[in-house]
Amino acid sequence: MDHEEIDMISRCQEGDQEALREIFDKYHKKVYSIAYGVVRQREEALDIVQEVFIKLFRSIKNFRGKSQFYTYLYRMAMNTAIDHTRKAGKQVTSSLDAEGSFEPSDEPEKGPERILLQKELEERVKLAMDSLPPEQKAAIVFRDVEGLSYQEMAEAMGCSIGTVMSRLHYGRKRMQESLKDYVKFRGQSRGASLPSEE
Amino acid sequence: MLLEKYFDREVTDSERSLVESHLQDCPACRDALSSMGELRTLIKVPVEEVVRKEDFPWVWQKIERGIRFEKERGGWSSLRSWLDATFRLRRRVWIPAVATLLVLLFITAQVIFKKTPSSQGASVVEYLESPTYNVMVYQMEEPNVTVIWLFEGPEEEHTAT
Repeated sequence: MDHEEIDMISRCQEGDQEALREIFDKYHKKVYSIAYGVVRQREEALDIVQEVFIKLFRSIKNFRGKSQFYTYLYRMAMNTAIDHTRKAGKQVTSSLDAEGSFEPSDEPEKGPERILLQKELEERVKLAMDSLPPEQKAAIVFRDVEGLSYQEMAEAMGCSIGTVMSRLHYGRKRMQESLKDYVKFRGQSRGASLPSEE
Repeated sequence: MLLEKYFDREVTDSERSLVESHLQDCPACRDALSSMGELRTLIKVPVEEVVRKEDFPWVWQKIERGIRFEKERGGWSSLRSWLDATFRLRRRVWIPAVATLLVLLFITAQVIFKKTPSSQGASVVEYLESPTYNVMVYQMEEPNVTVIWLFEGPEEEHTAT
């Protein structure tokens, strides 16, 4: 943590709302992408962002600086998002027209078929993610969406690196199983890919 | 697992060399690596696009409103928790107090009833003084008997029933 961040956090711990605003400005996109990565629904992800920063303001006094602040915040974001999926998890929809889901329709270069395929694909990814146990879901979002290292993930998830690797491995395995048609299709069309840059 | 570590860029230099030389001769591992890449793309790209397009409408204003609401509610809830605590405290005090009172009443009742003179329900109906005998008339309830007590002198008493 740099001095600026330490100062921001300690002001926030004293109840300074302006400091919370600074933290929000710095991290809201990351919190949103964790939330969206888990729930894959725009309105719900925005609600989660709001909830996370209110919770943060209430509980930041408990942050003792033993871990990185962002892992503390990401953990809070992940737990809040997973709580949302638990509450709404029973309402998993298979509809391809789920309101608020990812809509690429404003991209003029894509034809209707492509848009439909992408929408269907996104819905399948959502269903596959919904079917994962929370720990595996968290591991995949932290690694494949946020690009956290194993060490950072272990800190954010409060477990060992070995556990992180195991959760990631089984989560990916289940996702590949659920999405095997799509993964295979994309694999054949593009050929083997090397590790992507983060 | 090593392939996955390689994919996640968590390998050491020697592990990387090992995996890369293996990949040249192993189509199955190349396919597995490819699948992992495809899966990551499926998961990650839509999120990135959504985040890029999002303008976070009113999110900060809603957060401010939420904090204000919590502060207002905080006042009420602290009052409520004080009342709850008081009620719990009262309950903690009253239960033993009432129990003690009941025990005391029970003991006292025993003492009172034991000390009540067992007059077998006798009551004085009349007392007459005369130059010869003083007379006292008792009425017993159980059995139903009338006792007439004649006092001849300070030392002598005669009873007639």
